[in-house]
Amino acid sequence: MTEQMSVDSAPPSGQPTSGPHFDFQDTQTGDLGVLAAIADAMKSDSLADRLESLKRLSVLALAIGEERTREELIPFLDESIDDEDELLLSLAEVLGDFVQYVGGPKYAYVLLRPLENLAAAEETVVRDKAVESINKLVEVMDQPQVEEYLIPCVARLSAGEWFTSRSSAAGLYAAAYGKVTDAIQSKLRAGYEALCKDETPMIRRAAASNLEALVSRIEKDHVLSFAIPNFRRLADDDQDSVRLLTIEPLVAITKCLSTEECKQYLGESVQRLCVDKSWRVRYMVADHFVAIATNIKDRELQEELVNVAISLMHDNEAEVRGAICTQLDGLADLAAPEAIVARLQAPLQELVEDPSQHVRATLGKHIGSLCRVFGREGTIEHLLPLLLRLLKDSFPDVRLNIISKLDAVDNVVGIDSLSQSLLPAIVELAEDKQWRVRLAIIEYVPLIASQLGMQFFDEQLSNLCMSWLGDPVYSIREAATVNLKKLTDVFGVDWARSTIIPKILVMANHPNYLYRITTIFAITTIAPSVTPEIVRDLILPSLEGLVNDPIPNIRFNVAKSLVPLTMALRKSPETAPLEGSVIRPTLARLEEDRDPDVRFFASRSLMAINNAQA
Amino acid sequence: MVQSDLDRQIEQLRRCEIITESEVKELCNKAREIFIEESNVQRVDAPVTICGDIHGQFYDLQELFTVGGECPDTNYLFMGDFVDRGFYSVETFLLLLALKVRYPDRISLLRGNHESRQITQVYGFYDQFMPKYGSANVWRNCCEVFDYMSLVAIIDDKILCVHGGLSPVINTVDQIRTIDRKQEVPHEGAMCDLLWSDPEDISGWGLSPRGAGYLFGGDVVRSFLHTNNLDLIARAPQLVMEGFKHMFDKTCVTVWSAPNYCYRCGNVAAILEFDENLASNFKIFEAAPQEARGTPAKKPAPDYFL
Repeated sequence: MTEQMSVDSAPPSGQPTSGPHFDFQDTQTGDLGVLAAIADAMKSDSLADRLESLKRLSVLALAIGEERTREELIPFLDESIDDEDELLLSLAEVLGDFVQYVGGPKYAYVLLRPLENLAAAEETVVRDKAVESINKLVEVMDQPQVEEYLIPCVARLSAGEWFTSRSSAAGLYAAAYGKVTDAIQSKLRAGYEALCKDETPMIRRAAASNLEALVSRIEKDHVLSFAIPNFRRLADDDQDSVRLLTIEPLVAITKCLSTEECKQYLGESVQRLCVDKSWRVRYMVADHFVAIATNIKDRELQEELVNVAISLMHDNEAEVRGAICTQLDGLADLAAPEAIVARLQAPLQELVEDPSQHVRATLGKHIGSLCRVFGREGTIEHLLPLLLRLLKDSFPDVRLNIISKLDAVDNVVGIDSLSQSLLPAIVELAEDKQWRVRLAIIEYVPLIASQLGMQFFDEQLSNLCMSWLGDPVYSIREAATVNLKKLTDVFGVDWARSTIIPKILVMANHPNYLYRITTIFAITTIAPSVTPEIVRDLILPSLEGLVNDPIPNIRFNVAKSLVPLTMALRKSPETAPLEGSVIRPTLARLEEDRDPDVRFFASRSLMAINNAQA
Repeated sequence: MVQSDLDRQIEQLRRCEIITESEVKELCNKAREIFIEESNVQRVDAPVTICGDIHGQFYDLQELFTVGGECPDTNYLFMGDFVDRGFYSVETFLLLLALKVRYPDRISLLRGNHESRQITQVYGFYDQFMPKYGSANVWRNCCEVFDYMSLVAIIDDKILCVHGGLSPVINTVDQIRTIDRKQEVPHEGAMCDLLWSDPEDISGWGLSPRGAGYLFGGDVVRSFLHTNNLDLIARAPQLVMEGFKHMFDKTCVTVWSAPNYCYRCGNVAAILEFDENLASNFKIFEAAPQEARGTPAKKPAPDYFL
């Protein structure tokens, strides 16, 4: 340790030693060397060392004991506050977890002082962390302590001359509120109201974003008398950056109110926010749309809100249109199903053609949730055409989102009619030039297959499934083998024997080794799903050529595949002897191969077979 | 090194997690033993897939393996520039190195101009060690490995693979064999040129704007191929938007394997597959999508303090 210390933190001459002096060396307990090192590092010129020493602060505190931590270390930290933001941030974080080192909850207040100073720091992340840590302290403090120490601290910060402290103060009211008497609560409300009226927009922003937490702690009466007026004031602010922060408190307020009260107190503000001239505000509305609308239980208002949602779907800003698309599911419940179906048709038509690919992608992800409300007939009539269009979208994410959510559509219309109408599109996508789209289709095929039945599948999809085995992308070839196994599980062994296995085995003669490897992968993957006789009659003979393949990659993959094949052969007493007569001699031969990788995988396979026996 | 340890390290690196400093040391020692046995001109058998610059784009390397096949099932030849510029130079290089140690016959690594002490200190590889390992020791180990890597590979006596290109002081492949390669990449001379030169539509030789190596024309390539009875020169280090580019009547090809280079160039990448009959086939791929990329792991600072 000492060696590294001397390398990393060689102290330059003229080390500043002003400020409170804390002599760590005279402590009676602990490892003097360690403490001295921490103390040195705290004064080091290197920021990295000072940061590191902060992380070790608890070690020091433990060593010197709770009393000296309270009386010496904390004041030392407070008074020697650094000017590096990174360090302040770290200190703000450490102090929040320091209660146990100063003597437990009853002494938590001693940490307030340094944190109060940090809460007034210039850098936002430092202030936020300090506020977070103070709130942690409040959790363990009891009422008299909160009233004696925290309330004056909140008051001081709220009265701060510089905006930094007032902005931090806003984050402390909610936690304090639940732990004080009625009289003080009323003072807190007054104090908070002052922040909501502050002339600096930054303070009003802080007040708006902390209003939600405060609303959840105050009684119903005060929601009406305090929260709503302040919400309305902020919602009418001339800064859009303030207004957009009122959406979350709005959701919290609507939760506390009755249907009537919502209508009476909030209707106007909500409507104004919905058509706000700033798109950022409209985005926030769109993003929280269902939460707001659901809380406002009034049916009439809700129906009106559906109109608002539809106008947001036509918004000039793509962000807003995208955000409202995420709300489609909940939106559908806001009015009678027939009304929803009728009113959404036109806007959906337009969204499908939206100029922004991100809007279309979001729509693709959420449109399926509407099937539930549209019902079988409605989905087939109105939604399927839209889905088909999206499936042909030029942007791959749109296609991918539709495919991956198709099961929601299945559940409503039944796979049968879905497949019939979507099959042409699926066949087209199966040849998409984006391999991830092809992959999504492959994963969907076994489901379609199980519903379509064997004959239909053989006519429509079988060739496609085989063509994936020859795909230029490795992971598609791999997925194609898994697909064949799943299809074997669906259609049975006889089907596999006559349909797919011959086609797989043909590929064993492909001139390119990467495709011959695919044959081996396919065999290995489907082996557990076929009968031992098929392994004996069809698969083993075809491997004979591959065992002697000139390319080592083929030979060691044969070696690997012999393990699952052996397991398959062991299932029947008729085929089990082949292990001794064919498999083991083959592996023994491969163990003598000229290529080291072939030898390795051959002996590993032998070992695996032996272990599986035991 | 026990094989199962190595397999575990490969698994770990495939998840973009670093291995310990002592494991790196052992891996580097082992790699040096393998590289020292290889000649300046490494003989490679087809079938093999040729790859160009990776530049620390770890998740795009994963994409390369997804499209081209995993090692050892597919054989690979990487033509240098594994490190620098991308976010994950350390993980990228260590993964390739671990694969090389585990499957020396299935993967070949050539030295690129970025596999150098000087260059890696400027373009990012060096800087990535401090946060990850807390010291530059591991970087030093890696640089020692660089010195032992082959300069050139020849596939089935027909295709010459080299990071940069040709050199005016080299006329025959045998002359490459006589270079003493176990050193930092020099500022001039044959070894420098092999790693730095670029083909250009000129005749004869020209000065390189890179400040190292030369520009060489189609006539130079033709005469070199003729003298040495070769068909093709494959090389890497120039960004091409389509992933690959033929030059001089298909006697010289540039293969570029870093899609959306530096996370902003918008290019596609390519690998070049040669099957066992030397039939060739380019595979084009794009950058890994955001979902396939892990968020950069925040490793705690090393425990050097106590």
